[in-house]
Amino acid sequence: MEIAKSSKKKTQWKRASLPYFYLLPAFLVMGVITFYPLIYQLIISFTNFESKDLLLGLKSPDLQFIGFKNYVDIFTAALPVENFNFFRVLEFNFWWALSNVMLHVPAGVLIATLLNTEGLWLKRIYRAIYILPVVVPPLVVATVWTNIFDERYGAMNQLLTSIGTYFGNTAPVYIRWFEDVKPPIPGFLPGAPLTLAYYAMMVANFWLGWPFMSVVATGALQSIPRDLYEAASIDGATGTQQFWGITVPLLRPAMIPAAVYGFTLSFNLFNFVFFMTGGGPARSTELLVTFAYNLVRNLRWYGVAAAFAVIIFVVALIVFLITNRITRATQNYQEA
Amino acid sequence: MASVTYKNVVKKFGDLTIIKNLNIAVEDKEFLVLVGPSGCGKTTALRLLAGLEEITDGEIIIGDRVVNDVAPKDRDIAMVFQSYALYPHLSVYDNMAFGLKLRKTPKDEIKRRVDEAAEILGITDLLQRKPRQLSGGQRQRVAVGRAIVREPKVFLFDEPLSNLDAKLRVQMRAEISKLHQRLQTTFIYVTHDQTEAMTMATRIAVINKGNLQQLDTPQNLYDSPNNLFVAGFIGSPAMNFFPAKIAVNGDKVIVDTGDFQVQIPASHTAPYKGLNGHSVIFGIRPENIHDPEFAPQNINGVSVSSKVDVTELMGNETLLYLVSGKNTFVGRVDPRSKLRVGNTTQVIFDMDKIHIFDANTEEAIR
Ligand SMILES: Nc1ncnc2c1ncn2[C@@H]1O[C@H](COP(=O)(O)OP(=O)(O)OP(=O)(O)O)[C@@H](O)[C@H]1O
Ligand SMILES: [Mg+2]
Repeated sequence: MEIAKSSKKKTQWKRASLPYFYLLPAFLVMGVITFYPLIYQLIISFTNFESKDLLLGLKSPDLQFIGFKNYVDIFTAALPVENFNFFRVLEFNFWWALSNVMLHVPAGVLIATLLNTEGLWLKRIYRAIYILPVVVPPLVVATVWTNIFDERYGAMNQLLTSIGTYFGNTAPVYIRWFEDVKPPIPGFLPGAPLTLAYYAMMVANFWLGWPFMSVVATGALQSIPRDLYEAASIDGATGTQQFWGITVPLLRPAMIPAAVYGFTLSFNLFNFVFFMTGGGPARSTELLVTFAYNLVRNLRWYGVAAAFAVIIFVVALIVFLITNRITRATQNYQEA
Repeated sequence: MASVTYKNVVKKFGDLTIIKNLNIAVEDKEFLVLVGPSGCGKTTALRLLAGLEEITDGEIIIGDRVVNDVAPKDRDIAMVFQSYALYPHLSVYDNMAFGLKLRKTPKDEIKRRVDEAAEILGITDLLQRKPRQLSGGQRQRVAVGRAIVREPKVFLFDEPLSNLDAKLRVQMRAEISKLHQRLQTTFIYVTHDQTEAMTMATRIAVINKGNLQQLDTPQNLYDSPNNLFVAGFIGSPAMNFFPAKIAVNGDKVIVDTGDFQVQIPASHTAPYKGLNGHSVIFGIRPENIHDPEFAPQNINGVSVSSKVDVTELMGNETLLYLVSGKNTFVGRVDPRSKLRVGNTTQVIFDMDKIHIFDANTEEAIR
């Protein structure tokens, strides 16, 4: 009896431990490429690690443990970096992600709905075309849009010039999209001035961002049964009322996760911002990730950068937890 | 409350003509059932009336108004969809109130009507639930409730019971009939189930391949079908058919199927006197075929020799699947019948209840 019990326990233990055994190789790899750097980074975030310490690492004689100084410096804007304020960058970063999503989602839904119109010609061609921005490399997109917003030769200023001529203004428009530090709408976002560069980036990223939302919305639209619209039309709903009364609520379960995804994507949209504005002018379009990159690449303050990365990690974790909750709270109407 | 008229209605989808010249006059307060096999155009006919499809030709009249160009919402109709088409994001209450809200009905009036409809349908307890939290039968009631609150002139139902299990279907059948009596409104009801049609309708329109076959009361359809299609479609088990030839011999008219001959009673022979040698289809319903032991005394019976192939004992009746030469047919006989598989017997045909159809035109000859 006793023996049977213990041998049963043994097999149970075996069975329970087996999955971990299978996972071991993966853990080993992750240990080397993920956990080790993570911990190393955490350690150097408490030091004054600089380029001179690269060779010897933690054994470097000049390396000093300076406690939370890097963190304090970041939060109190005490870094000897021009125009840097952590909380302004953080605020801008959130606003940047939020404002993008607030634009892309409605636009995507609207365009998907319009293109879903029954009997529309060449429907498939439009849908194929709006996949394009999704597949063009962001570097290419950023380069093209940088050129469009070029002060002298860019298409945007030329367009504004020709619009100006319509209203009798013959002087060419030279808007310095990426240099002008004066916010066109002062006080729009208290604490973080939005320069022209922000608006230029919004335009460019709009081009990049709405098609994805449209793809998601198109898929979700297909799954709304047609007879709901028929029932609504008998009930007396006009096209607009059907859009607000049926389309929008039934797209919501699909669009909220997409919006969350879009938010995190924009939040960390490194390459696009880096190539378009480099965070300028005067760091007004700096994101957390681009600033971290500057700390490493240009200033080579590895200790500070490590601390900054830890902070980004915490911020990202909070964003993740919030968005995760939002996604989970939106369940499908069909599910129990 | 309104009459509904289909006048020379034609519906084409592209080159495909789905409805060919449909003429139906539905009277006020009538319960008209459109019945026919799958794909015959019943739903299309209903959708034309609802305004969900545009008619290709002809006129649809509701009350005294031609509604060809009237939007669905202005036709004063309500429709119960086969899929129910409940708004999944709205509660039962809001599903029912949706149309009224759009019509700017005062709030307390909406509440009064929804509560009343819920009361009638027995769904008062469910008003705050979402459709996904309801059973099929409950959803069906909500769909009906959504139609009731609108107080339309005409109710349209498109196979509302087809998603329910057999027992619930019988129950809902009775409830919809009751509802019709209570509301005193025109009901137009589509189904492919002839039992539903027979039990609920005041009149039935049988449709096949986009053509109206016959429009009559259930009893008349059953007793005197106009053609072979109606005869075969109405009634379960279906009417037995035998290809046959008419043989006129003096005063006697014989129907010769090749395997057996039956004589038409003298009182019915008139229409067939001139049809000697004519190819016909001879029809008789299963319940007019009797076990000789239990055949009623007062009928005009004729014996037909046949062999029992299969028996189905139903308790209240027995179905005999019989073979006579190359013909197979079904008899619905007294449950006390002792006939069993393999028996050879002389079943009795009640010759007062026979049907003769022209083999070419498939029209009834009478
Ligand atoms: N929008 C459409 N375009 C082309 N053909 C159609 C369309 N709607 C229906 N049809 C065709 O019209 C015919 C009749 O369809 P309908 O839905 O009216 O049949 P039904 O009698 O209601 O059948 P069921 O009992 O299966 O519901 C079918 O052959 C169908 O394929
Ligand atoms: Mg149908």
